[in-house]
Amino acid sequence: MAADDSDIDAGSVNLFSPEFAACPQPTYRDLHARCPVMRSPLTGGPILTRYEDVVWALRHPEIFSSEMEMQMALGTQRPMIPQQIDPPVQTKFRKILDPQFSRKRMQLIEPELRAHANRLIDEFIDDGGCEFNSSFAIPIPCNAFLALLGLPREDLDLFLGLKDGIIRPAGGFEDPEGAARIRVESGRQIYAYFEDVIADRTKRPRDDMVSYLLKAEIDGQRISHNDILDITFLLLIAGLDTVTSTLGCNTAFLAANPEHRRRIVEDPELIPNAVEELLRWETPVTTVPRVVKQKVTIGDLEIQEGEVAMLLIGAADVDDAAFPEAGRVDFDRESNRHVAFGAGPHRCLGSHLARFELTTAMEEWHRRIPDYAIEPGETPRYSPGIREVQYLPLVWERSAGSAR
Amino acid sequence: MKIRVDMELCVGHGRCYMLAPDLFDEDERGYCKLLREDVPPELQPQARMGEANCPEGAIEIEED
Repeated sequence: MAADDSDIDAGSVNLFSPEFAACPQPTYRDLHARCPVMRSPLTGGPILTRYEDVVWALRHPEIFSSEMEMQMALGTQRPMIPQQIDPPVQTKFRKILDPQFSRKRMQLIEPELRAHANRLIDEFIDDGGCEFNSSFAIPIPCNAFLALLGLPREDLDLFLGLKDGIIRPAGGFEDPEGAARIRVESGRQIYAYFEDVIADRTKRPRDDMVSYLLKAEIDGQRISHNDILDITFLLLIAGLDTVTSTLGCNTAFLAANPEHRRRIVEDPELIPNAVEELLRWETPVTTVPRVVKQKVTIGDLEIQEGEVAMLLIGAADVDDAAFPEAGRVDFDRESNRHVAFGAGPHRCLGSHLARFELTTAMEEWHRRIPDYAIEPGETPRYSPGIREVQYLPLVWERSAGSAR
Repeated sequence: MKIRVDMELCVGHGRCYMLAPDLFDEDERGYCKLLREDVPPELQPQARMGEANCPEGAIEIEED
């Protein structure tokens, strides 16, 4: 905690600035060295950065609860299920949902994910460049989302607008009231949309998620109409955002670090491990909030009941105490217990789908466009919060692109 | 070598059955299903990979 020669007040770090989002790892590591458990100068709320502390908190929902007060809500009228409810009820919902998102289940759609990536690449490979986010990272998770939920392609732009309205509303961090209004309106539209879907699938069941949920039971009882709305709300905002963010962060890294890129081009079998290492290094979902249900001491910080703690999983994933040479990106890393998908009972429901989407996208991209760079004179732009690379202009030599 | 899985800790990350498919499988929810407790020498590297990559620390190895 020594702040002897400090010219940086670690407490003044703005975890929600675009500058931080572009390159958070040095800040995390600085926080580990100076104040691994601290209070936010903006909110006064506790911030945890050490792997050990973050993981402990994630595994103890009875102390670090996901059951937020409604003012923390993202335009929702009720908690999203299962993300914003805790065990034991949360466990009952996960028992219904986990089988729908298991690795075996997701393996079945892997060929379609791969074909989808190739169709996208076909669109721009001959142009010798693209804006990566709009051309590739945003569309990558859309197909699987539409297929799993059985929703029409023509509504995709609506869904993308609605999830952005919740996750990164215009005005964002500068205009909290305006952002809250956009969130509430986006939330209202999401509920209304899925009301219609539920009404339709009640009459005409199909092979899709809502039809499945309409038949699902907990303790011998059908789950409620509102439960289904609260699950689909989460699937919409979670299913269309984080894979896009991760793919952008990974590709920006690989564009800027050709020696790492060459390794996966020369040895594509390294890609699954590279995906894990980049998940660790980039951890696009940097922070998760938890409300403290009982007084607890973490490090030398006493945390009171009712406080909202920020768990910096991005910081946890670059903690030297948990990873040898945590500050180095190493695709040969053999021990990697990263928590980019969280830990404990709230482990990301879509993690297996996300891994297939990321791996197939990176394999197909690097097979067909092995050599690329950030367009000279341009700088990628990152959004704060969940680290989406909203502007990532890439260029490559036209002849370098390979046919299917 | 023997391996044990603490099912109280497993939350279905699935790293074990991705990295060590000869020792671990998944159940219907995607949680760990241990295929064998006794690890023959040729599978010991897989056992170590599974243990070293479980974010919950749910896998324990007992060396002979």
